[in-house]
Amino acid sequence: MAEYRTHMKIIGDILATTRDDLQDEDGASVTYLIRKANISHSRISTILKTLVTQGLLEKTDNRGSNRYKISGSGREFLQAYYTFTNFADNFGLVI
Amino acid sequence: MDFLLENILNLVGFLVGLAIGIMSYIGFRNTGSPTLFRLTIAFSSISLGFFVIWTGYVVEDFVTKSGSVERSIQTVGIAIQMVGYFFIAFSHSIKSFFPKSSYFRSVIILPLFLVSSVQLEHIFRSVSFILLAYGAIETMLSYFENRNKGAISVSAGLGLLALGEFLGWYSFVFPESVLYSASMIIKIGGLILLFIPVSKVPLTKMKFDEDPK
Repeated sequence: MAEYRTHMKIIGDILATTRDDLQDEDGASVTYLIRKANISHSRISTILKTLVTQGLLEKTDNRGSNRYKISGSGREFLQAYYTFTNFADNFGLVI
Repeated sequence: MDFLLENILNLVGFLVGLAIGIMSYIGFRNTGSPTLFRLTIAFSSISLGFFVIWTGYVVEDFVTKSGSVERSIQTVGIAIQMVGYFFIAFSHSIKSFFPKSSYFRSVIILPLFLVSSVQLEHIFRSVSFILLAYGAIETMLSYFENRNKGAISVSAGLGLLALGEFLGWYSFVFPESVLYSASMIIKIGGLILLFIPVSKVPLTKMKFDEDPK
C-alpha cells in the first residue's frame, strides 16, 4: 500500500532532493524532481513556485529549461524539518 | 504530605508543559506545521492548568491559610488540563469526538450547568482519563510503525498520567487512603517520562521567530 505523505513531507522530499541528489551543478530539472519526489506535474509546479517565492529554492534558467537548487534558507528549513519530524515522531505524530 | 506532593506535581507539570509547549511553538514557527501548532496549544493548556492549581496552593499556603485549596480553582485547573489532553488526542485524528447532531451538541453542555464543582471535577477527570488513555494507545501504535524509541517513553508517560488521573478520581471513594498520594507520584513519573525524549531534541542553530526569506 502506498504511504500517505503530508504536504510538509512532500516539501521535505523536494528540498532533500535539491540538496543531496542533484543531477549537476545547475540544479535539478522539474522532470527529475517529479521522478525523485514521486509527485504529479501540476502539483509540483505549484509547490515549486511557492518554494521559490519563499526563498527556499533558487530557480535558474539553463538553456531554456528551469533548474532548481536549494538556498541557504532552504537548508535551514530542511534542518528544522528533520529536527521537528523527530520531535513529532516521539508523540506518534507526523508534521 | 499530600500538600507537598500536590505542590511538586503542579510545579513539575507546569515546567514540563511549558518546555514542550515552547519547543512545539519553535517548531511551528520554523516549519508552519499544523501538527506542531496543535501540540503548542495542548502543552500550553496543560502547563496553564497545572499553573492555576499550583497558584491556588501557593495562595492557600501563604495568604489564606485555610488548610485546603479552593475547590473551584482545582476544578478550573483540571478543566484547562483536559483541553490540553483533548488536543493531544485530537492530533491523533479524533474525527468523531463530538456528536454530529446539533440537538445533542446543545444538550451535551446542559449537564455542566446542573452539577456542582465537585461533580464537574469528576467529569473532567474521567474525560481526561479517556483522552490520555487514547493518546497513550495511539502513541504506542505509532511506535510499532516507525520504531522510534522516544514514542515508548511518551506513550508510557501518557499512560501513567491516565492511571494517575484514574486513581485521583477513584480516591473520592476512599478519601483517607493512599490512593491520592499514589496518583500524584504516578503523575509526576508520567510527566518525567514525557519530558525525557523531548529533552534530547537538538535545538542548536534553530532560529526562533524568523520566517524563511
